[in-house]
Amino acid sequence: MSDPAQIIVEDVSHHYRPAVGREVLALENVSLQVQEREFLALLGPSGCGKSTLLYLIGGFLPIGTGKILVDSKAVAGPGPDRGIVFQNFALFPWKTVRKNVLYGLERQALPRHERETRAQAFIDLVGLTGFEESYPSQLSGGMKQRVAIARTLAFDPRILLMDEPFGALDAQTRSLMQGELLAIWEKTRKTVIFVTHDVHEAVYLAERVAVMTARPGRIKTIVDTRFDKDDPEVHRTRAFVDKVDEVWNLVRDEAVKALEKRPP
Amino acid sequence: MTVAPATKAAAPNVLVRYSPLLIHALAWEAAARLHLVSSLALPPLTDVVQAWVELVASGELVSNGLSSLYRAGAGLALAIAVGSALGIFMAISRPVNAMLGPLVELFYPMPKSALIPVTVLWLGFGDGSKILLIFLGCMLPVTIGAYNGARGSDQHLIWSARSMGARGPRMIWDVVVPSALPELLNGVRTALALSFILLVSSELIVARQGLGNLIGYLGANGSYEAMFAVVLTVAFIGFLADRVYQAVVERALRWRE
Amino acid sequence: MTDTVRRFAWGAARLAPIIVLLAAWEMFARSGAVTPFMLPALSAVAERIYDDAAGGDLFLNIGVTVYRALAGFAIAAVGGVVLGAAMARNRAARWFFDPVISVGFPMPKIAFLPVIILWLGLYDVSKITMVVLDAIFPVVTATVAGIASVEKELVWTARNMGAKNRELLWQILLPAALPQILTGLQVALPIALIVVVVTEMQMGGYGLGGAMMQASRFANSRGVFAGIVEIAVIGYALVAAMAWLRRRLLAWHQEAQGATGV
Repeated sequence: MSDPAQIIVEDVSHHYRPAVGREVLALENVSLQVQEREFLALLGPSGCGKSTLLYLIGGFLPIGTGKILVDSKAVAGPGPDRGIVFQNFALFPWKTVRKNVLYGLERQALPRHERETRAQAFIDLVGLTGFEESYPSQLSGGMKQRVAIARTLAFDPRILLMDEPFGALDAQTRSLMQGELLAIWEKTRKTVIFVTHDVHEAVYLAERVAVMTARPGRIKTIVDTRFDKDDPEVHRTRAFVDKVDEVWNLVRDEAVKALEKRPP
Repeated sequence: MTVAPATKAAAPNVLVRYSPLLIHALAWEAAARLHLVSSLALPPLTDVVQAWVELVASGELVSNGLSSLYRAGAGLALAIAVGSALGIFMAISRPVNAMLGPLVELFYPMPKSALIPVTVLWLGFGDGSKILLIFLGCMLPVTIGAYNGARGSDQHLIWSARSMGARGPRMIWDVVVPSALPELLNGVRTALALSFILLVSSELIVARQGLGNLIGYLGANGSYEAMFAVVLTVAFIGFLADRVYQAVVERALRWRE
Repeated sequence: MTDTVRRFAWGAARLAPIIVLLAAWEMFARSGAVTPFMLPALSAVAERIYDDAAGGDLFLNIGVTVYRALAGFAIAAVGGVVLGAAMARNRAARWFFDPVISVGFPMPKIAFLPVIILWLGLYDVSKITMVVLDAIFPVVTATVAGIASVEKELVWTARNMGAKNRELLWQILLPAALPQILTGLQVALPIALIVVVVTEMQMGGYGLGGAMMQASRFANSRGVFAGIVEIAVIGYALVAAMAWLRRRLLAWHQEAQGATGV
């Protein structure tokens, strides 16, 4: 731990103004550090600001108070060093799968041949060989999310920001995708910040889980969740189940608070 | 880095929104007074206002205005009555739809202004031809609106009504019409705008009375200030009619929700 | 095999009411219930159209009218999208133009025709200008709405990959807003045609509108009805062409939804 963390969030607060009503404090004095190549989950009830925090790190929202450093540089806007994957896939519907994946590559000064090869490699990586010329509207939810992941991986960001990427998928597909994501992460070893409200998913995928409070969001605790993910039966081990319980208890109080705090 | 247009704060909304029009008005006045444009082509706004006042005072504007509004109103009322009935019947009766659907599709892209000469041929220069023109022209948007709205009627609502004993006309009135209302009213809004277009067009070309005719007459006479005054009046009435209509519709639909 | 038969039957079923209408027209006209002046027979009108075609007048008039309508439409389309894009992305532009668009849209802009004639004379320029004035409004409104409704995630994804502002507009916003922009264009096209016909009627000269007005002045009802048929056919053809264009451009969109109506 002698190197500075790759991502440093320090005392960040964030307000947003909804269309009607007063300003809302979404995040309050959030501080967090993420090491390089780490897989961290942001877990919390709805409305706790976990997505907001992700968007701030990604540079999609302006930073008000506090600071966020990535690789020792302050975040000033979005950029290809922090790739994002959204829950609703955000695929360009008028482009084929191949063109979608190529889009990020075209922004970089790569020769054409290399772009094409890289794009194909990532399409193959996510298991969509043969679907290169399909349009998003022709694909299932799981397939769309794979395209989104391939697209983001293709331009080789050092950091992967994932905003509840499997939230729109059915339970079986979600399960499969989780396994695939872990396989991809192990192969490419990027830093991953994974936002979710699903405790099981967080404990399974991440090495550390940052539990957030209900709005205004703060980091409540960070729990270590390193397990032997290669073990297919890891879900059943005592250690795993206990860990899920532990995290669930931390989250439950916040979930209840979030429920009580419904806007008038 | 703005992502989407920000929503405006509530308070001085209307003023802020329409303030650029003040700038346009000032620019007009300045351009004319400073002779940046020939005052023949663009008389100063203040002169136009003065001409407007004179037209009102002389009664010309009002009498022609009433004539025009009568024609548009009558034609529109007929179009709404017949059009909505037609649209709703097409939606609920498959044979009627099969018969009339292709005809509606055929006549929809036809420019309704093409009917001006034939209505004049049939009914001459007076009120009758204008009313017929507006009736025929505006019927289509209303029919289509009614049809789309009625088609969208929730099947479950209809079944519930039927199971409670509603039949025929009663069921149509209670279930189909209310759910068709939003689209129908949207169709009427289009018809409203179209009625003004057809009214002004036909009056410009063939009429002895009415606002369109007045514009033409003043223009031919060289009274450009007065001509501008009437043009703006007509434009404003069209705008006002639409706004008032929207407000009424919003009120009406609100307590149906 | 059955599919082709079915499609043929479907097409025939849709044509049937039209054929019935035409037949009814002919019979009613011949029946004597109305004078040939009020309702010339379909055959008489067809004869008139044939004569016009043989004489060359028909094609000249159609050509002139379609040229004016399409020229105005094209200018309104390009200008409307440009203005709409500017308004959607630039707060100052939106503030400045919004009341003009909002107030101008429901106005019967045809009332300004005498003013346009005053400024621009009696030739094609005025006619085309009038078309542009009327047709540009739905295009602007549709473009603004289309761009504003692009999902923010699409914009963020593009920015994430390094897209700059201008690239964002051309590569992401306009393609994403295309369905709505096309709808605006589909509304603008019939408007262009209506306006062209009116201007031609008012100003005379060549063109379908002028020809119809001429016929009307000479109480030539065959000529008037011939004009209606001709314009109806042109209108139908243009709208159908536009619908076809939409289907082609939005092939990617169509997969997700069924066929669109008119």
